[in-house]
Amino acid sequence: MLRNAILQGIAIAAVSAVVGFAFNSFSRNGINPFRVPVKVPAATDSTQAGAEGIRVIDLEEARRVVESGVSVIDARRRDEYDEGHIPGAILFDYYDMGTYRDRVLPLLSNEGEIMVYCSEITCEDSELLANELYLLGFTKLLVFKGGFAEWSGAGLPVERGDL
Amino acid sequence: MTWSQGASPAAGGRNGSHWIFNPYLLLAFRLLLAAIFIYAAVQKIGRPHAFADEIHGYGVVDYGPPLYIMAVVLPWIELLCGFSLVAGVAIRGAALILIGLNAMFLVVIAKKTIGYVSDGTPFMKIYFDCGCGFGATYAWKKLLEDAAYLIMSLALFAAPRHRFVVSIRRRSS
Repeated sequence: MLRNAILQGIAIAAVSAVVGFAFNSFSRNGINPFRVPVKVPAATDSTQAGAEGIRVIDLEEARRVVESGVSVIDARRRDEYDEGHIPGAILFDYYDMGTYRDRVLPLLSNEGEIMVYCSEITCEDSELLANELYLLGFTKLLVFKGGFAEWSGAGLPVERGDL
Repeated sequence: MTWSQGASPAAGGRNGSHWIFNPYLLLAFRLLLAAIFIYAAVQKIGRPHAFADEIHGYGVVDYGPPLYIMAVVLPWIELLCGFSLVAGVAIRGAALILIGLNAMFLVVIAKKTIGYVSDGTPFMKIYFDCGCGFGATYAWKKLLEDAAYLIMSLALFAAPRHRFVVSIRRRSS
């Protein structure tokens, strides 16, 4: 009985792997399952403006960055974005990579800096999306960790609806 | 009594007469587990980025091929196990996989819960999204659920026989 069960289990796992990889390769939101993560250089020193890698910035620098016209990416969901976002921010829902990759990447320059933010200091989507953007060739990335909660809480301007 | 005779040591006797092996109860276990795992699988299929992040949140597997392969394949394993249980095909194989999955879920959820408790959060108030496809819930509730799923899977695996199954028989002549 045990031998048969093990063989059945292996068959189920094998069919699942074949179907799963096939579905993933055709899915708009598919990932490369064999991708080895790249060690992204991180710089926390705020004097390193324009440096390659991912740099975490605070509210004061985020405000200066937005005023200077740097591309800003909102990594949250559409409904959160529609309720309010940093002026000029482009929606890029990290969990809907297939939809937003084609829509947003042509709008970005891989020469200049890009600021990414999500909901609040505890969310990780801004860092995850910055990581993805780095792998796609956008190497000057700023992550505003405080996110939309800190921005709106400080009374800074907020835009509503789609851009 | 040997395994090859179709009865397991857990069968509760030569005839497998333990109440947990009642054919209707076993059918209920199959349908319940199938509904849960098919639903959970559908929530995860097509969103491997999110599922990979949820698995990573347990702090057991780091970003890399093992994590991404799990994110791509695991939901399909859950789906196929669910279909197997509904159809009555390869029930013991599906049950064996579900024993492994539920045991793994119990361990990682317990690990995460212990982490919250050691940070000072009262056990009964620990509330998080386990990444199981059912949204956020209390940790104690999730641990009880997974323990129940594990017992059901063990019963399906150890049952001496199943009824309401697809049976393929060869013609004798």
